[in-house]
Amino acid sequence: MSFDPIPYDLLGAFKYFLVVFGSAMLIAVVVCLIVGTLTRGAKGFTGVFRGIFDFFVQITHVSCRRIWSLTVLTIREALRQKILFVFIIFAVLFMFAGWFLSGAADRPDLQVQSYIDFVLKAISWLVIPIMLLLACWSLPEDIKKRTIHTVVTKPAYRIEIVMGRMLGFTLLGSAILVVMGTIGYIWINRQVPETAQYKLVSKVPVYGEIVFTDREGALTKTGLNVGDIWDFRSYIEGATKARAIYKFTGIDESDAIDDKLVLESSFEAFRTHKGNMEKGGILYQFIFVNEDKNLRVPSRPLINKEYSDNVLEVKRKLKYDNPEGKGEGDAGTEIDIFDDVVDKDGNLTVEVQCLEAGQLLGMARPDLFVRTPDRAFLAGYSKAVFGIWLPMVLVIMLGVTISCFVKGPVAILTTLTIVLVGFMSKEYMTEILSGQMQASGAIEAWYRLITHMNSQTALPDGPVKFIIEIVDAGIINFLWLCQQVIPNFGIFSNMREYVIKGFDVSWNAALLPGIITTAAYILPCLIVSFYSLKLRELEAK
Amino acid sequence: MNKLTSKQRKLAYVIAIIVLLIPVIWLGMPSTGEEGSGGELAQLRVKHELGESTLGDVDPSSASMNFVLLGLRGIATNLLWMDANDYQKRKEWAKLRSTVDSIILLQPHYMKVWDFQGWNLAYNVSAEWDAVEDRYFWVKEGIKFLNEGVQRNERFPELDWKVANLHGQKVGRSDEWRLFRKFYKVDPDTERYEDGPDPEINPERLDNYQVAKEHFLLANEKELKHKQHLQMRMLFRASPWHAQFDYANAMQREGTFGKQRTDAWAQGFKDWTTIFGREEFITPKGPIVLEWTEDDIKDLANRDENISEADVRHWTNRYQDTSNYRFWRTRALSESETETIDAHKAIYDGEQLFRSGKFDEANVQLEKGMQLYAKVLNKYPSLLSEDLAIEEGLQAIILWRYIHDLKGLPIPDSYPLKPLWNKEQGRVPQLENDLRRRYGIQ
Amino acid sequence: MDNEPVIQISNLTKIYRDFWGRKKVRALNSLSLEIKKGEIFGLLGPNGSGKTTTLKLLLGLLFPSEGDIKVLGQPASNVEKNERIGYLPEESYLYRFLNAEETLDFYGRLFKMPAKERRERAAELIEKVGLGHAKRRQLKEYSKGMTRRIGLAQALINNPDLVMLDEPTSGLDPLGTDDMKRMILELKEQGKTVLMCSHLLADVQDVCDRIAILYGGELKVMGRVEDLLKEQDETQIMTSRLSDEAIKEIEQVVAKHNGKVGTIDHPTATLESLFLKTVQESKDRPGQRFVPDTEEKKASE
Repeated sequence: MSFDPIPYDLLGAFKYFLVVFGSAMLIAVVVCLIVGTLTRGAKGFTGVFRGIFDFFVQITHVSCRRIWSLTVLTIREALRQKILFVFIIFAVLFMFAGWFLSGAADRPDLQVQSYIDFVLKAISWLVIPIMLLLACWSLPEDIKKRTIHTVVTKPAYRIEIVMGRMLGFTLLGSAILVVMGTIGYIWINRQVPETAQYKLVSKVPVYGEIVFTDREGALTKTGLNVGDIWDFRSYIEGATKARAIYKFTGIDESDAIDDKLVLESSFEAFRTHKGNMEKGGILYQFIFVNEDKNLRVPSRPLINKEYSDNVLEVKRKLKYDNPEGKGEGDAGTEIDIFDDVVDKDGNLTVEVQCLEAGQLLGMARPDLFVRTPDRAFLAGYSKAVFGIWLPMVLVIMLGVTISCFVKGPVAILTTLTIVLVGFMSKEYMTEILSGQMQASGAIEAWYRLITHMNSQTALPDGPVKFIIEIVDAGIINFLWLCQQVIPNFGIFSNMREYVIKGFDVSWNAALLPGIITTAAYILPCLIVSFYSLKLRELEAK
Repeated sequence: MNKLTSKQRKLAYVIAIIVLLIPVIWLGMPSTGEEGSGGELAQLRVKHELGESTLGDVDPSSASMNFVLLGLRGIATNLLWMDANDYQKRKEWAKLRSTVDSIILLQPHYMKVWDFQGWNLAYNVSAEWDAVEDRYFWVKEGIKFLNEGVQRNERFPELDWKVANLHGQKVGRSDEWRLFRKFYKVDPDTERYEDGPDPEINPERLDNYQVAKEHFLLANEKELKHKQHLQMRMLFRASPWHAQFDYANAMQREGTFGKQRTDAWAQGFKDWTTIFGREEFITPKGPIVLEWTEDDIKDLANRDENISEADVRHWTNRYQDTSNYRFWRTRALSESETETIDAHKAIYDGEQLFRSGKFDEANVQLEKGMQLYAKVLNKYPSLLSEDLAIEEGLQAIILWRYIHDLKGLPIPDSYPLKPLWNKEQGRVPQLENDLRRRYGIQ
Repeated sequence: MDNEPVIQISNLTKIYRDFWGRKKVRALNSLSLEIKKGEIFGLLGPNGSGKTTTLKLLLGLLFPSEGDIKVLGQPASNVEKNERIGYLPEESYLYRFLNAEETLDFYGRLFKMPAKERRERAAELIEKVGLGHAKRRQLKEYSKGMTRRIGLAQALINNPDLVMLDEPTSGLDPLGTDDMKRMILELKEQGKTVLMCSHLLADVQDVCDRIAILYGGELKVMGRVEDLLKEQDETQIMTSRLSDEAIKEIEQVVAKHNGKVGTIDHPTATLESLFLKTVQESKDRPGQRFVPDTEEKKASE
């Protein structure tokens, strides 16, 4: 599994938002003040404050009645533009998808994954582009056809028009999503064969923290690196004192399934010699540790089947045979997992040990988790659909906002660019901005390309270097700005991954960041659209 | 500046459009399907067989995808290729497989893509998995993937050759060859394939080398029409017959010494001498055949007055050396003899006995095998030009010597195969290592 | 009371600029106007003279380059004043996918009107503008005239004190024009102020109390219609048909009073009045061809 469910830092995110938003507002106000004063003198100066005041006046005076009226108008418009034809595409897709998908992979477990993947992708790829087009097109069309004239000459605030549009498209999109989601859910359930139905669950994992010990038994942060390019997993050597120690917090009886503690793991094997190939995997063992009670309870040796879920169910009551001969438990004493092994603070410590000499086991934080009672597949699935709804709302907000100041086609292109950049290039941008990438300046890269200079050689001193550095610094700063402003759409596609892999969507690591990301754009979008409509003469010339 | 009136300007545009249209039509008019119809490009396309359908099966989804992407398929392919690399790095195998499928939709006629990704799945991805069944699954994926490539491209004998090579070498020569060969006949997914092979891989329940041979033969057939760029033509065309030898040899490696094995060698000899040996290959001095008679030499030399009999002899000899022709001829011949079979069997039995710790019996068998093998080598000295033949003898000696060490017996001054031992000392350490690992000797 | 100004424009200038802020057109130049409560004011002028620009400036659709505007005592950019304003745009920019009822309901909701009142008023207006038969049809199926009618209904949905009409009669057949003029006069009777702009002079003449003529963005003439049109030194006599002798006698009488006869002939009716008469006749006597009062008719009788 490649996703690492790191809990979301809510407070940090909020602080970050305040810093970015606050500084953007401050810069905007200062620029307006300067421009206003220069062009109109004192009147311009006060005008800026009147303009700011206006926003608060109007925002506090918006009327739900008028917004609702505009919302209904928006929905009606979309419906009468035959928007529901999208269901025909949807139906066609689903009628024939079964043919193409069933051959895609021969294993039922991969098959289920591809079905879920297909349904969620199909829904999002149909709904989001359509909502994008509608959102970007409607307001400019309203202005172009001047139908907006009859609305703004009524006692309706321009911001209400924007809000009505946003709300209308959101409601419409939500309705379409609900219908498509339901059809998709039924389709998945019918398509997945009887034998693979057990795959349709929402596992609820509890992840722990991981530390390692080296072969002498001393604590380290990471294990060995076996030369894998992807340094996600760290390795422990077999038949040494090397261990991976997982610490799970907040474990109690409610996490048991049928009175059993269920551990699911998926470690990676690295062999330094062939060993016994026919066994199907490398042997390893868990040791449950409670240091307060000086308990060390080993599991039986287990075989690690790579790239699949290795499940260990531990009965709640188990015989403790005390292999190391110390501590309070005597051979054959019965102990209770939740009372004895889990310590008084609810912490469960599990050591993982590889049993074969010369073989290594690789693991990362999400590779071992306590599986708590499953939720219905519907729970995870509906959260994943909600994970489509969030970016849809974001796209609608961005689209409507952008269409307040540019024409339809331009708005579509702009929004599309933002979505694509936010979706695909966020990581790339971070890489450039963090300075990890060598010679990443745009002009510098060009210069090196043309002069066939590699990225290790320093640029020759002189005016060329000076110019390149100045211009690149500007570009990098612009990139920094884009990085701050463009939403990270990658967050949303994470939610799909959870469901595909059979997990419930994590609240902390996926749902919350998604909601926060979307919510963070509400106020900025309203402010931008308010001022771009307020300052705009609605005569399309 | 512009003194033309609006009407004149429009007229100029129309004329410009017409002028530009003429070459467009002349070059680009599509062919109606008849010979010689269509514009210049269409005719060139027919002439050089560049149309989609002349290259192999057309996948409608692939064609429409390329259409939708307009001219951007190169970029799209690059992006997907980067994705595929990334998935491989992150060990997202299912995604890797589907990304590779998408790449293929975009580039269905680019041989290197098929070649590389087929190899990647069968070798690299397969090796990442720990359980042998899983590894075998990915070998199959690689083969299936390449099979698809073969269907879409009728004109790459290389692809057939690669398929055959996976069936042969990957299955039969990997570290896990014993299990792979077993799985080849009884797929590990016994439930799904009902204790039989995966029909997409081995529909007729044959040996992997037999299937490899079939595919090599297909490659040879295509090679007559479309040039291959993999290796020297003669070596390329020798592949099916080598597969036949591998088939016979594999049985031996697994301890099957019955009629089936002997027949396989006999068939190999027949194929080698009557089909491969009689094929004409072009050398810088005209055509030659590898299995020749004096008449052939004369006949070949007579075809061109610039070529003498000596030339033909010289080049025949060189080509025979390159293809190891004489060795395989002798080997196949010798393997049909009882003495050879007995030698192999004795050595094999000795190894098996050694493995199960019966050192005394092993010693007897090994000594017997060494004696017989020495005889065979005496009779067919040219066998000594092949690694496998040398190694078989050396292995027997190593085990035999090991038993002597174990029992504290001195190594006799003279023993069968001693000349071989002395001559090939350079290979000994590596072989000793291999044997140690195989038999767990510390 | 009557002198309370509803619209005050002083020194209004509008300059259209292009994207780079360069001056393109000076659409209005120092216009000053005052429109009082209860009057029908007509803005006249050829195409491009600045009529519509003035209207849009009053409505806050455009922002003035210089000068001041007060509408109902408020600045033009104030939205609340719109509660008391009705506006019929030049081409009835309405949502073509709505039907008449939905249109009025939608616009009605934008005002502070109770639902019941809104529905009643909508039904009343649909009847009044004569669209009862087509209230469920989408506006995209409407003819130009029907669109103007629903446009007017839309402008009156809030029972406004000030109505601004941009080319109210353009695109209407004479019958429609007549209806429209009648409705405008009705508005005046209800004490509402009407500002209309048009280039169809006859219509303006018929309904307006005061007019202003704009040309090239500048105010050229302004005043009461009667005052502007009264020819001070001519007298017009209209009688029933007279014999030649009678005409001669009249000429003599005129000459006796030192007057001079300009023209004496049979007056030709305007095509408009003929058309209206025809339609009226057709309504009164359906199925018959209407024969106008011509010489031939007289002769045949």
